[in-house]
Amino acid sequence: MKLPLSWLQTFFDQPLPDVDALVEIMDGLGLAVENVTEHPGAPAGVVVVDVLEVEPIEGSDYLKRTLVTDGSSTHQVVCGAPVVTVGMRTALALPGTRLPAAGGGDGLEVGQREMLGVASNGMLCSPRELGLYDHAGGLITFGQDAPLGADLSTLWGSETIIEVELTPNRADAFSLLGVARDVAAKLGVPYKHPAQGLDSGEPGGGDGLAIQIDDEAGCPRFTLRGIRGVKVLPSPLWLQRRLGAIGLRPRNNLIDVTNFVTFELGQPSHAYDLAKLGGGVIQVRRARPGETLELLTEEVLELDPADLLIATPGADGQSVAIGLAGVMGGRHDSVSDATTDVALEVANFDPVTVRRTAQRHKLVTDARTRFERGVDPNLQLLASARAATLIAEVSGGTVDRSVSVTGCDITRPAVAFRPSRVQFLMDFDVPLADQRAYLERLGCQVVERGDDDWLVTPPSWRYDMSIEEDVVEEVARLHGYEHIGETVPDMHFVPSAADPIHRELKVRLAAAGLQETVSYVFTGEDELRRANAPAPHVFLKEPQGVERGVLRTALYPGLLAAAAGNRRLPALGLFEVGRVFLEDELERLALLTTGPRAGSGWGAELKGDFYSFKGILEATAALVGAELVMAPVGDPATDAPFLHPGVAAAVSWNGRHVGHAGRLHPEVAARYELGEVYVAELALPLEGRVIRFEEINRQPYAERDLAIIAPDTVSFAALKALCADAAGPLLLTLEPFDVYQGGRLEAGTRSVALRFRFRAENRALTDAEVDALMQNVIRSVKGAGYDVRA
Amino acid sequence: MTEGSEQRPGSQTPEAPEAAQWLADIAAAPDAAALQELRVRLIGKKGEITQRLKELGKLDPDQRREQGQRINVLKQSVESAIEARKAELERRKLDEQLASERVDVTLPGTRPTEGGLHLLTLVTNRLLDVFRSLGYEVVTGPELETDHYNFSALNFPPDHPARDTQDTFWTTDGRLLRTHTSPMQVRYMEAHKPPFKLVVPGKVFRNEAVDVTHEAQFHQLEALVVGERITMADLRGAINEMAQALIGPGTKTRLQPTYFPFVEPGAEFAIWWTNPRSGREEWLELGGCGMVHPKVFEAVGYEGVTGFAFGFGIERLALVPYAIPDIRYFYQGDMRVLEQFRGIL
Repeated sequence: MKLPLSWLQTFFDQPLPDVDALVEIMDGLGLAVENVTEHPGAPAGVVVVDVLEVEPIEGSDYLKRTLVTDGSSTHQVVCGAPVVTVGMRTALALPGTRLPAAGGGDGLEVGQREMLGVASNGMLCSPRELGLYDHAGGLITFGQDAPLGADLSTLWGSETIIEVELTPNRADAFSLLGVARDVAAKLGVPYKHPAQGLDSGEPGGGDGLAIQIDDEAGCPRFTLRGIRGVKVLPSPLWLQRRLGAIGLRPRNNLIDVTNFVTFELGQPSHAYDLAKLGGGVIQVRRARPGETLELLTEEVLELDPADLLIATPGADGQSVAIGLAGVMGGRHDSVSDATTDVALEVANFDPVTVRRTAQRHKLVTDARTRFERGVDPNLQLLASARAATLIAEVSGGTVDRSVSVTGCDITRPAVAFRPSRVQFLMDFDVPLADQRAYLERLGCQVVERGDDDWLVTPPSWRYDMSIEEDVVEEVARLHGYEHIGETVPDMHFVPSAADPIHRELKVRLAAAGLQETVSYVFTGEDELRRANAPAPHVFLKEPQGVERGVLRTALYPGLLAAAAGNRRLPALGLFEVGRVFLEDELERLALLTTGPRAGSGWGAELKGDFYSFKGILEATAALVGAELVMAPVGDPATDAPFLHPGVAAAVSWNGRHVGHAGRLHPEVAARYELGEVYVAELALPLEGRVIRFEEINRQPYAERDLAIIAPDTVSFAALKALCADAAGPLLLTLEPFDVYQGGRLEAGTRSVALRFRFRAENRALTDAEVDALMQNVIRSVKGAGYDVRA
Repeated sequence: MTEGSEQRPGSQTPEAPEAAQWLADIAAAPDAAALQELRVRLIGKKGEITQRLKELGKLDPDQRREQGQRINVLKQSVESAIEARKAELERRKLDEQLASERVDVTLPGTRPTEGGLHLLTLVTNRLLDVFRSLGYEVVTGPELETDHYNFSALNFPPDHPARDTQDTFWTTDGRLLRTHTSPMQVRYMEAHKPPFKLVVPGKVFRNEAVDVTHEAQFHQLEALVVGERITMADLRGAINEMAQALIGPGTKTRLQPTYFPFVEPGAEFAIWWTNPRSGREEWLELGGCGMVHPKVFEAVGYEGVTGFAFGFGIERLALVPYAIPDIRYFYQGDMRVLEQFRGIL
């Protein structure tokens, strides 16, 4: 919300503090100042002129030759504006005037020119060309109050504008009045209510206007007042200036007044052309099925039966929708230059009804923003008087004595308040007299019922004071948050040392040579398909594009995308810890490597293959003493379709199946234009093992080697199990030390050389014993149909 | 040692005429084998000197003593010459080996690929270190949430514009991506009894236009402290402790009133710091805070306690100090960005 400083000043008799001090006060009140800007006035060299003559220029569709007067001399000017009419009062930039550039810069110097053979001595200007407000659709127009020949820069000066960002609870501060009220309360000075003392009229009929409310809950208050004999004209300068300063475009004296009052008091209003209201009747009702409404913007809405409407009887007596209550007016009723009699609506609508109606039609308007936060429910009669008085003042009309009104003023429920709670919650002391004064300055009624027992009745404009803590905040806010101390709570609490962010694991992976990445949880269905990942389970209602329409079902596609982006690198290792969204939300770890795992560039390198990838996982497990086992995947196409069916492993961690690891399916790799890539997708947590100390066994071990030649489809794990079983309990370790294929070996077979170590608990084994055990092994191996070489 | 009780080698010149030659041969022995040969020839079982010692028995006692002494001296000097030559030969061999093993230490090493943590993890870890040292417990919670935990239980009334400030990503099944880490306040309180101090790091989501400072996905850290009588001064004290730990002693904190439905009174907070990039001292506006709203306590069945909560975005604490121009860098997985923050494991 923009607050022109000179406008804010009109609420005070004494001068406001300087801007810096004011900004500090407002920030301290919770009216957060976003910025302070100096809005320039009209440039020097621009004069107020009347248009005397307009005639088309031969050879141009839009250029016109105009003759304008500044009262003492006439100027011939070529003008390209769509609407320029005789009698119009507007602004002429004389040759030599420097016009501001949109968005800063040096701007344009107006010169004497000739167009299509017609001399042009200056330029008739739009508001944007003058840098006054953002409208380029036509010339700036003035009323008779702008003196002919006057230097516009003396009439339209610069303005300091404070922009505040209001929080949604502070509906009361959504106006100049509201901000003035808060600032006055903080400063302890009075403020002037612009409508104070105005005659709010005589409630009742007799004015030919009538209100029919079908839905009192949706429309608790409605006032309608006639203003007769108005003349629709450009607004006076002061009004144009006020609106221009807050970024609104002045239109005509009727609409401008309603906008002015909206920002001045925080109360939206609407001026109807009385002639267009059927029998002077305004109805407030819900929409009928199938009903439509054409908005001011010419958009036609299909209405919902829950929409709250403003309507009027049509020619056939049927009720016709003319506006979306509290959101936007319709075309039907709008005032035009021909309007002479005005019906002024100043109403209050139920915030939720307005919000839902606007949400249904995706309309964001100033009125909606105000009504859904809450407009002062007792303000309507006063605001109507203020707006009607101003309309009469600027349009020459007469305000009806009588005003049609529904609903009545409300009193907010009183809040029981213990002043001691300020000390209790804020830990600073505010004297009782000060607390009372703060609350009263804010418009509260305070009744002291007993010791530390007050009743505080908030003013009608405060929607955010319903419990004791709200009252504490008001006292604290006016007293100032700078008085809050810095203490440390005395509390007995022993925090859990759990590591829910998997920090240790991340450090181990980083130390193993992998770079952590963070991807988006949203992705596209196509992307998941591209990565052979599970189909999405969770879909976003209003995604930021289809490629972000669903929640990820696996982490590794994010790593694939990252790998694709880093394709130029010869080697890459990545990991991510994050959540995926399947039936349940699950925590996962994904790893990816491609290219050599170690190297110097000129010498040896560690090949990036399945085993160096597996080694990362093994080392990661070993560092926390976890048991990691990789076994063939039962049905890779179903269980791990993203993996190469021949290079796919099911991973178990401490005996629990946690996911899959292997080489990325070449088909998927090709889609990402990647080569040989290894990936794993594992469920978290990957926990360590409880460590139990075992006494050192000092007995020597006996070692034997044996090579087994078996079909290459027989896994090492199967051979190991076969041998271990035959070797019996004295077998200490059994590790492969050579795996060989090809050469003189039969195709489809391979030789796996194994090293056996045997040890007894409490004695040295004899060679004979160990040889006997090895014979068992050899028998078993041969029994299984494999060859051995000792 | 008594004078004369032992002969020092070399104190008497060995009188064997060949002695000088033997010693010269030993000193010139080209390798261990030649040296061994000399040893055998001179002091082996049948060596020349051994032979002479054996012949001493033929002499009369006086001569025997005198000759014996002389030959023993000779033997000792030969032995020590051999030892010296042996040591020299070994040293020479080692020198040769060392010379042959020389490497060019300036060539690049064979290095494992380096990894690293994401800058957001580094910043989060740093913050969590601070909070753990202050006695806070770290908890995390779901990212896909319900209206109840994200809004209703946090006192966001239904159909209230306060919900608009959150720009929610709704799912087609009526759930939502959490817009803040605050749902964990409710989840934790449902499962635990006060007093406690906890922090919740995690991803949050806002459906707003993405630009250099706004992301649809970002990270927050939330703190919640509940006890018998926690005050707004405790809140400010906690923020100050965090600021001291993060930035160093002497920093200041500022609280200004604002509105969040789940706190009352509510405030936004800033810390006074020296911007490491610009070198300017300024307020760093970090986040929102306040006293837990009674309606939130009501929603979890707490009575007779007060508490404070504060939360802030983690990206800001990563962007500002490193002058990173675009928040989207965090999620693009570009190694040129990621690898710059290694070395702070």
